[in-house]
Amino acid sequence: MDIDLSPLVDSWQYLVDGLGVTLLLSALTVVCSLALGFAIGLARCYGPAWLRWSVVFYIDSMRSIPVLVVLVWTYFAFPILTGVTLPPFWAALVALTAHIAAYVAEIVRAGIGSVRPGQTRAALALGLSRAQTVREIILPQSVVRMLPAFGSILSIAIKDTAIAAVIAVPEYMKQSETVAGQSFRPFEVFTGAAIVYFLILFPITRLVDMVYVRLAHLGKS
Amino acid sequence: MRLDWSVVWQNAPALAEGTLLTIVLTVVTMAIAVPAGIVIAMMRFSGLRFLAGAAAAYVEFFRNLPLILVVYWAYYVMPVALDVQFTGFTTGLMALCLNVSAYNSETFRAGIGSIRKGQTEAALALGLSRWQAMREIVLPQAARRVLPVLASTWVSLFKDTSLVSVIAVGELAYTAMRIRSQTFRVLEMLTAMAAIYWALGYPQAKLVDWLHRRLGVTE
Repeated sequence: MDIDLSPLVDSWQYLVDGLGVTLLLSALTVVCSLALGFAIGLARCYGPAWLRWSVVFYIDSMRSIPVLVVLVWTYFAFPILTGVTLPPFWAALVALTAHIAAYVAEIVRAGIGSVRPGQTRAALALGLSRAQTVREIILPQSVVRMLPAFGSILSIAIKDTAIAAVIAVPEYMKQSETVAGQSFRPFEVFTGAAIVYFLILFPITRLVDMVYVRLAHLGKS
Repeated sequence: MRLDWSVVWQNAPALAEGTLLTIVLTVVTMAIAVPAGIVIAMMRFSGLRFLAGAAAAYVEFFRNLPLILVVYWAYYVMPVALDVQFTGFTTGLMALCLNVSAYNSETFRAGIGSIRKGQTEAALALGLSRWQAMREIVLPQAARRVLPVLASTWVSLFKDTSLVSVIAVGELAYTAMRIRSQTFRVLEMLTAMAAIYWALGYPQAKLVDWLHRRLGVTE
């Protein structure tokens, strides 16, 4: 079998554009889903009962529906329902954020839950208000414990942006598909894509592991 | 906006067939990926550098690739590289197995590794053989830690089977999107697809939570 790398060389500009979209979409998704997920997680732990129940329903629903379905629904069905058409990039950002925020909320809940209740009782006994207890006692300890899990959210986000190819977001996966289709060289193009994704994701996983080892002792209480 | 939900009922048999294929894909993938995960985890514990290295490389490679890329790669590259033609179903199944085996092997590795060394040493000191210590002391405890994680992987896998729709395997997502483009009832079909996934996935997610609460081990 002959290997011909010319499609990769000829379309490098096109592929690099795709890589830029992948990285931009991943970064925006991580930022938005951390913000939204933190809010949902706090509502899950400290909100009034009706809010807690609706938040639990939202989180569990997102855990049970594939991200592909959320993406396709946001892009194709949402405009019919509301009359607002989102361009693919923004539809992908909305869908991925809605999906990943649910996972962030679960991490936030686990982090807050891991601080022993005795600490809350001690803080309240010392005369701190509920809000002060959360802000001064619980969050500083639990955020440290959430950090490694937030790191894995980063690699999940990058991997999930590849699924945005199905709604034609011009990110790396979609561009690779196009190049492969035009050049009839899927072997080289998809193997190249595998190498590119691996080179981005492997250092991130390693870094997260390292951070985890460095931070693990800080979370002990 | 005029909605016509009858399209969902008219296509119910096709959707049921797609749902069945989604479930079959999930079950068969897990049935293959659990033993494969055990083998890969044992390779990493074997102490033979070559085996451990190969297993580690495999796991790191597939954990760091988007599954949708593995699906495409299996579809376009594997037939060329191996010079054999697989059906769409087999290709999708192989892609899912490659991915889930890597995750499962990490689950087993972490589960066995989480049992403190002192317990094996104590068992050996009491005169148990290595194999007995593994079977009687380590594995029963590791199983309690592994099972909830395997259940989580199961739910992820159930959702990830939707990705093989990109290579035209006729599971639920593909079937629903095919009917959508034939009937142009976009909102109805996509909502029905989401609802079916939700109805099947929601109880599974709740079951996973229950398993985590029930089997969670605190030392």
